[in-house]
Amino acid sequence: MITSFLLFFLFLYSQNRDSQTLIPLTVKQISEAFQSSDDKTNFLIDGVDVNNVKLVGILFNKAEMLTAVSFVVDDGTGRLDCFRWVNEAVDTKEMEALTNGIYVRVHGHLKGFQGKKQLMAYSVRPVDDYNEIASHFAEVIYVHSYNSRLRKQQDSSFMSAQVPSSSFNTPLKGYQASASNQFPGFNMDGIGGVHKMVLDYLQQPSCLALEKGVHRNELAQQLRVPSEKIMEAMEALESEGLVYTTIDDFHYKSTANA
Amino acid sequence: MDTSNPAVFVNAEFLKQHVGRRVRAVVQVMQSDGDKVIGKSTDEQQLVVKGYPPSPLSTFVEVIGIADTPQSIQAETWTNFGDTFDVTSFDKVCRLANGDSKHLFI
Repeated sequence: MITSFLLFFLFLYSQNRDSQTLIPLTVKQISEAFQSSDDKTNFLIDGVDVNNVKLVGILFNKAEMLTAVSFVVDDGTGRLDCFRWVNEAVDTKEMEALTNGIYVRVHGHLKGFQGKKQLMAYSVRPVDDYNEIASHFAEVIYVHSYNSRLRKQQDSSFMSAQVPSSSFNTPLKGYQASASNQFPGFNMDGIGGVHKMVLDYLQQPSCLALEKGVHRNELAQQLRVPSEKIMEAMEALESEGLVYTTIDDFHYKSTANA
Repeated sequence: MDTSNPAVFVNAEFLKQHVGRRVRAVVQVMQSDGDKVIGKSTDEQQLVVKGYPPSPLSTFVEVIGIADTPQSIQAETWTNFGDTFDVTSFDKVCRLANGDSKHLFI
């Protein structure tokens, strides 16, 4: 009983993790977000599920109510209605410090309400270093190109790896803060069995640390895969730019962290 | 939700392409009179900002307003950005926002 309970929570946790990342966006992107039909609260931007977002813009039309504060954020690309619940004294204090016309950084949950998009803010902080504005928009551009490239590469890897079409619907992982340690813009879901085994093996920290990489006989031995299959996989992975040969044609290294 | 009146990131170069529209620029104040500021844009050219600047003005100031001529902005909003500001990064973002990533902004 307890085990199944735990499993249920683990399931929920794993389901939610990928969609909980905080995504930097412009209001323009939000206005064009596609609302997926199955779940009213989910939006798709660049093929990625969007729930939590960050915006940087000017605060307007602040109106205090008994248990909430409503306001508008204008980030120069558009205006978005925001809403902040104030239950605790600390929330009230945070909101009291804000005046119309100042730059704020808002983190919140994007919600569709009566056909309109709204941000349920859980953090509204004044910007005091104005370099944050340029840095926010640089991040917006980076995350957009990261996620768009991710989608493009996933599509093309499907063509070359010829995986069954049922996995075409595998959701994208989306941008995460740890992204720089992963393959630049490559989604693992699109790679077939041996390819993935080889990559996983080469990506182990102990293998990444080896300057000359790993001999392909070692791969065949460790993974218990015939060496022809390894060769095939290496060729494919090399053409995708995921591995490269080092001291000779038999030693391979992953391009991750390169 | 309203995206009908965006303010485009501009330096002096991009200002020329947006005459008549709402823009946002950061200028380094060189000279300030009662009803205008002459400043240096992030691509190091001279810009005139018309309107009533707040007092005191910091070295760097952001203006949001209408590009009324290819070299001047009629200001609506002024924000003091302080005395130190990373002009290069801002100018790079400005170029991206008018280039490959334009669709994310306007």
